[in-house]
Order: sequence, then structure tokens, then C-alpha cells
Amino acid sequence: MSERLVPVVCPYCGVGCRLYIRSVDGYPVGIEYAKDIPNISNELGKLCPKGNAVVEYLLAKDRLKRPLKAKEQGKFVEISWSEAIKEVAERLKAYAKDDPNQLMFFGSARTFNEPNYLVQKLARMLGTNNVDHCARLCHAPTVTGLKAVFGAGAMTNTYKDIEEANVIFIIGHNYAETHPVGFRYVLKAKERGAKVIVADPRFTRTAWFADIFLQHYPGSDIALINGLIHVIIKERLYDEKFVRERCVGFDEVVAAVEKFTPEFVEKVTGVPAELIIEAARTFATAGKGVITWAMGLTQHTHGTENVKLLGTLAAICGYQGKEGAGCSPMRGQNNVQGACDMAALPNVFPGYQAVTDPEKRKFFEEFWGVELSGEVGLTTVEAAYAADKGKVKAYYVMGENPVISEANANHVMHTLEKLEFMVVQDIVPTPTMEYADIVLPAAAMLENEGSLTNTERRVQWSFQAVKPPGEARPDWWILSEVGKAIGFDKTGSGGFVYNDAADVLREINACTPQYRGITPERLKENLAGLHWPCPSEDHPGTRVLYKEKFLTPSGKANLAAVPEYKGPVEMPDEEYPFLLTTHRYVGMYHTATMTMRSCALKKRWPEPLAEIHPDDAVKLGIKSGDWVKVVTRRGAYPIKAKVTRAVKKGVIAVPWHWGANVLTNDALDPVAKIPETKACACNVAKITEEEARKLMEKLPPLIPKIEVVRG
Amino acid sequence: MARKTVFIDFSKCIECRACEVACEREHSGMSFISVFEWQEMAAMALNCRHCEKAPCVEVCPTNALYRDKDGAVLLAPQKCIGCLMCGIVCPFGIPELDLINKIMGKCDLCAHRRAEGKLPACVETCPTDALIYGDFNEIVKKRREKFTEKTIELAKTAERIPLTGV
Repeated sequence: MSERLVPVVCPYCGVGCRLYIRSVDGYPVGIEYAKDIPNISNELGKLCPKGNAVVEYLLAKDRLKRPLKAKEQGKFVEISWSEAIKEVAERLKAYAKDDPNQLMFFGSARTFNEPNYLVQKLARMLGTNNVDHCARLCHAPTVTGLKAVFGAGAMTNTYKDIEEANVIFIIGHNYAETHPVGFRYVLKAKERGAKVIVADPRFTRTAWFADIFLQHYPGSDIALINGLIHVIIKERLYDEKFVRERCVGFDEVVAAVEKFTPEFVEKVTGVPAELIIEAARTFATAGKGVITWAMGLTQHTHGTENVKLLGTLAAICGYQGKEGAGCSPMRGQNNVQGACDMAALPNVFPGYQAVTDPEKRKFFEEFWGVELSGEVGLTTVEAAYAADKGKVKAYYVMGENPVISEANANHVMHTLEKLEFMVVQDIVPTPTMEYADIVLPAAAMLENEGSLTNTERRVQWSFQAVKPPGEARPDWWILSEVGKAIGFDKTGSGGFVYNDAADVLREINACTPQYRGITPERLKENLAGLHWPCPSEDHPGTRVLYKEKFLTPSGKANLAAVPEYKGPVEMPDEEYPFLLTTHRYVGMYHTATMTMRSCALKKRWPEPLAEIHPDDAVKLGIKSGDWVKVVTRRGAYPIKAKVTRAVKKGVIAVPWHWGANVLTNDALDPVAKIPETKACACNVAKITEEEARKLMEKLPPLIPKIEVVRG
Repeated sequence: MARKTVFIDFSKCIECRACEVACEREHSGMSFISVFEWQEMAAMALNCRHCEKAPCVEVCPTNALYRDKDGAVLLAPQKCIGCLMCGIVCPFGIPELDLINKIMGKCDLCAHRRAEGKLPACVETCPTDALIYGDFNEIVKKRREKFTEKTIELAKTAERIPLTGV
């Protein structure tokens, strides 16, 4: 018997906490807090409830142990790895021969950088740029918006800067609930005397700690931020030197915010004018400020504009390029940043090098030794519609669950039924798997090793703590086998021959400028990790971006002017009088595939509750605990009601982990292609428990029973 | 005697329940700390206070409840008869009946972790430092120090009033 303590990175949210897994003979028995590692993102080894329950999902009874092949929908037979790999490779090769754009690949923000690099390499070597991952559904506007303003789409600072700030503006982000360990730094700043401004349609746990709370209507962010900029410009509170020397486009901003007087903004957002003025003054005069946001801001048809305006707000106040200031988009999953960096995106090569740029394409053509497509590929939602039309025929889904995570889930399920071939590579059965033709059992994050990039651009190495169950294999191994079977069996960067994850990272070092100095050896030695950009092996990593200049062609920040106010695409009307918004619970994680398999978490967050204002509840005759039916133009969803003043009158808030996306709108942001999950019109009615049960049968089951038959 | 216990700063609690999950993991599926929401969105954790004059220890008919060398009130399971007396006299309603073994269970300030020189799991994990393990006098002293520091800081940054000529 050998007991070991292995340092890993938490497999849940984007904070990237370190912890130790205690294992006996490769079997997990407990965890230990990483108190002894200096400078990690979770100071003193602090963990949230999900981090504490990290071992439980590894031991889930229904972990996938052998490759499966579908007989009919939802019924599978066990096959061997060689059969599975052979079939996947042959089918992919056949589609690629016909027309590579019939293929669609999904990377995953829940696995390491290495498999994400490999999945996009596989897609691109097969001749298509149709590769995307769930960042499309959470932070795509952040990438496009920040890139437009500052030249790169990543967090411009680190947690240390949040701790050092004098004012923290949190918008569309329930920080305390989504990233409890990250919220630690906000509270530490507050203890030091920093002011906290929170803007959210719900009175969240984060709002409880706010000095100024702006409760605006879902989807009215443009008006709110423009209102703040209006006051700052009118009262000349902006940083004139910074604007003169490092920004362009200020005059347009002045003209664009002209009409957003506090009085006008009050009408649109429902926030009192005095509060807007007070917030603007507090924010602009603090000296050092951080803006943080998340899905409440981005999941809109105008998500990109929202982010651009926040960048503008930070820039005109001079809150860029120095310590204690910056823009901090908070990523939801532990490797969203990494999956984006590795280019599991349809428009860029690793390191955000555009596929349309002939020079960059030439580099990768030489590097991988194949001809590459210069045409921008499909995003997740676009792929669903292309599949509906028969243009996309095969999906390769790695660690994703589109049936629950994508907006307008009913349409997604309809699409998946139409596909000719679908491969799902995951650790447990998901509702998406019911539509799969081949299921490949993957090792969970703690059962294999690799590098991860957290929300503050910190790249860390996670070691293998336990053995994978049955024949489950690491993601990089599966992809490299598929690649070899397709015929990319050369050694070096032109093929898929790898010995371990470190090999893949060395290849990433060679082709990604930001990761050039982040070698596996350095990461394994330095548990606290390195912040990219790290251009060479002796570079210490970069904590604050844009100290001298921005990454835009001119080196200056392009301030964004958004003169037109746009609300949600779908506004309440007579038929659908309420505004629906979605949110999340602290103990649940994304599509709940992992958290619902953990007793401690399931016990505490057993079911979703729809939040409704007392006045609305009285009108509809609803009490806390009653079953209600929420209906939108796309679907119906049964849920229990919770009467609370946390939401505004006319707003219904539903947690989305349990599949509430059958309701949400898939209207897209034109630039970032993110669906508007956070606001749409809905109707609410009281129903009996029996009706609720009936409705529930029509929804995809969160934990499906995958039937394995003989023969 | 300097006795240590877990103190709770409810103004920092974000109701994430990390303490509950950590306690449950350390005590084979039973959590001896609970988080309560007491006003919309405001919450606090409640656990055993390990009272100076502990009613549970006083009433226990079999002496199953005792103090260890750090002053924590522990339960000797082999002596417990599950009479529920301790649960009734405790002003916080802390000791609970373990329904399977029919004996009581309560917070032991993670005796197994303290033996290794570690903090109780709930304190170790609390992301916002709402839980503090320490001696009452020390904590009060620290709070006073912090208050004084803040006041001095405030005085420094306040408008400088010329003291001469007052």
C-alpha cells in the first residue's frame, strides 16, 4: 500500500485553485489543502464547496469504462479500443474526403490545454476550421470585445490586482456564488477600504457586500454603462493624460454618450439617477479600479458592445497598464482561457493567429505539413443550424454537453437526431451521449496530467493523482490514436505521435508565441505556474498587460462609441409578460454532470427554484414551493417557485444547471456569435405537481441511463 | 488557560457552504457545522461553541462527553447511550443523533487534524475567512488592533488640519 499526496488543479471553476489529492494505490481517499505552496491563486489553499467535494465525482458508479457503439438511440454495445478508434478514423476520413466542412469538432474547457490543441489540430489537418467549444456560450464577446479595444481578449490583470484596487465594479456577475475563492480578493480589498459597486438584475450574494448596488433590468447594460461614462465625461473625472497619450476615439465617445443622461438611463434601466451619478463618481475618482464581469454581461445579442464599453470605461479612467487596475472577465470553467489560447475556435490558430492571415497560415502549413483552409469555420450555434440543413453531418464532441448548455435546447436535440455520425468523448453518461454513435471513455482531469490556464492567464501543471477506471484513457491519448489511425502518423509536429502530455506541450511552445517559455519542465518545477505572455524560457511571465502599449496596430486603445441603446431581442409583451433571466448556484457546476454525481453537493442543492417577486407572485397566486410552468416561444419548463425580493418586478430568474435552456433564446450576437441566454420574454403559470411530472418527462434527463446490451 | 475554538464572522459569510462540505468529508458523511440564511441573502454558519461551562458535559450521564487537552468537547462513542440529554440542554442545539449507530455526534474541532498540527477543516477551507480558529482573547485583541490601525489610517488620509493655533 502506498499513500501519496499529489498536487493537482481543481477541476471546477476558472479560479484554478491548487489542492492535494490523497490517494492509496491509485485510489482517491481524500484531499488536503495546499497551504504550503506560495503565490497560488487560492491563497492559503482555500477551497469552495465544489473543491471540497472533488473526489466524489471520480468515484461515480456510472463512470464510462469501455468504448461503446450505438445499436439504436440510447442503446449501446461494448467494443474494444482498436475497433472504436478504427471506426472513428474511417468515418472522419470519409467525410473529410468528400467535404471537410461536413465535420464539426468540439473542444472542451474542462480538460487540459493539450487535448484542446490536438482537437483543433485534428480538425485543421482534416481540412476544416469547424472547431469550437463552450467559450462560445460564455465569454466569446469578451474575446472579441476586448480584442477590439485593447488588442487581445484576456484578463488584463491578476487576482493580486483585485486585492490592491481601490474600487471594484462588478457587473453581470454573481462573484460570491460563481467564484467564491476569487471573491476572497474582493473582500480583502474591501477590508482595506476599497469600494464595491455591483450592477445586477438580481440582488445576489455579491450585492450584499456592495457599497453601491445598481439593480438594472436584464439586457439594459449598454444604457447603464453609457450612463456612467456620460457622468464621468460631463464632470471631467476621466484621466485626461491617459486618454490623450494612450487612447484614440475619445471624441466619438463624447458624442455617443451625449443622450445617456442619468434621467434617460433611469427610465431604461430602472436604476435611480442619483445612484448612477454616485457610482460614476466613486468609480472614476478612486485612483485604482478593476472591472469584473461574467455571463450576465456577455450572454446578450449586444454582448460584444457591452464588453467594448467596459473596456472604454476602464481606459478613460486610466485603469489599464498598472498594478491594482484592469479588466477581469471571470471564466466559468477551469480551462476556458486555455482552450481559447489553444485555438479551439473557428477563426484562429493557436495564440490567436487569424486563419484568414496568409502569413500565419503559411507558418502552420509548414509546421503541420498539410494544406490548411483559410475560411473561418462554424461556431457551435451555427453548426447546429448547418446540421439542421444537412450541411454538417458529423460531430466530434469532446467533454461537452450541448443538449443542456446551448440556448434553445429543443432545437439542438432536434439537430443531433439528424446527424449521420456523432462521437462523444466523456467521463460519464450525459444527455448528449444518447445521440452518439460511438462513445469514447475518457480519464477525468485528476486521472491524467497536463497544463491548464486559469482565468488570470496563469498556466499550471496538474499531476496524475489517481488511476482512471476500467479502460478509460487520457484525452490526449485518444486524440493521438485517432490522428494516427487517420494517417497522420509522422513523428514531429506533422503527425500525432506523442509519448505523453508534455510532448504535446513542447509542440505548443513551438507554435504559440505567448506560450513559448512555458515548458513542461518549468511548470512541473514551479507549482504556482506562469502568467502568459511568457515569450522565452528565462522570462518570468507577465502579471499586468499593456504597461507600455496596447496590442492594437496603433498601440493605443480604440475607445468604443455605442450611440444606440439596444435591449434584448425579445421584450415582454401581452402573451409573454415577464422577462426571464438565468443564473447559477454555488454548489452546482455547468451542466451538473460532475456535481450531480457528488452526494455532498446534491444534498445541498437538490433542485432548481424559480425566483419571482412577491407582487407578481400575489397576482398569479403563487406561493414559495408551488410548482409553476415557465413558457417561452421555444419551450416549457416545470420548476418550483421561490418568492423573493431578490429579483425586480416583472423578472423571473431560473438556474440553468437543470436544463432550463429549453426556454432560452438562441438569437446571436452578430460579432461574437453568442446566443442571448440571459434575457427573453416568458410567461409563468401555476400548475399541479402531476402536470409538472408530465412536463418533466419531455425534458432531457440530467443523468441518463445508458443501456449496454449484448451482441 | 488559553482555549481555542472556531469563531464566526457572519459579516463575511457568503453562504457557499464550503465548511459544511469539508466537515462532512472529514467526519464520514456527517456535517457538524451548518449555514443558515437568516435574511434574504445574508447568512451565517453555526457550529459547536465548546462552551467554557458546557451544559452537555455537565448533564451527560455516562461521561461520554469530555474535554481534550486543547479544551475541545469531544464524544467517546463507546460510552454514549444515545439518551439525547446533551442535545436538549445545548442552547444551540448542536449534538445530533446519528440515526444508524444511535449515538450522538458533534463537532470535535477536527481532533485528527489538530493532532497533525493542522487547523479544523471548516476554517482551513473558508474562502472568505469568515471562520477563524483561535483563542477568544487573541481574536478580540486582533480586532482592536485592526480598528486602531484603521482609525489611524483614516486620520492620516483625512484633511490635514493645522494643529498649531488651535
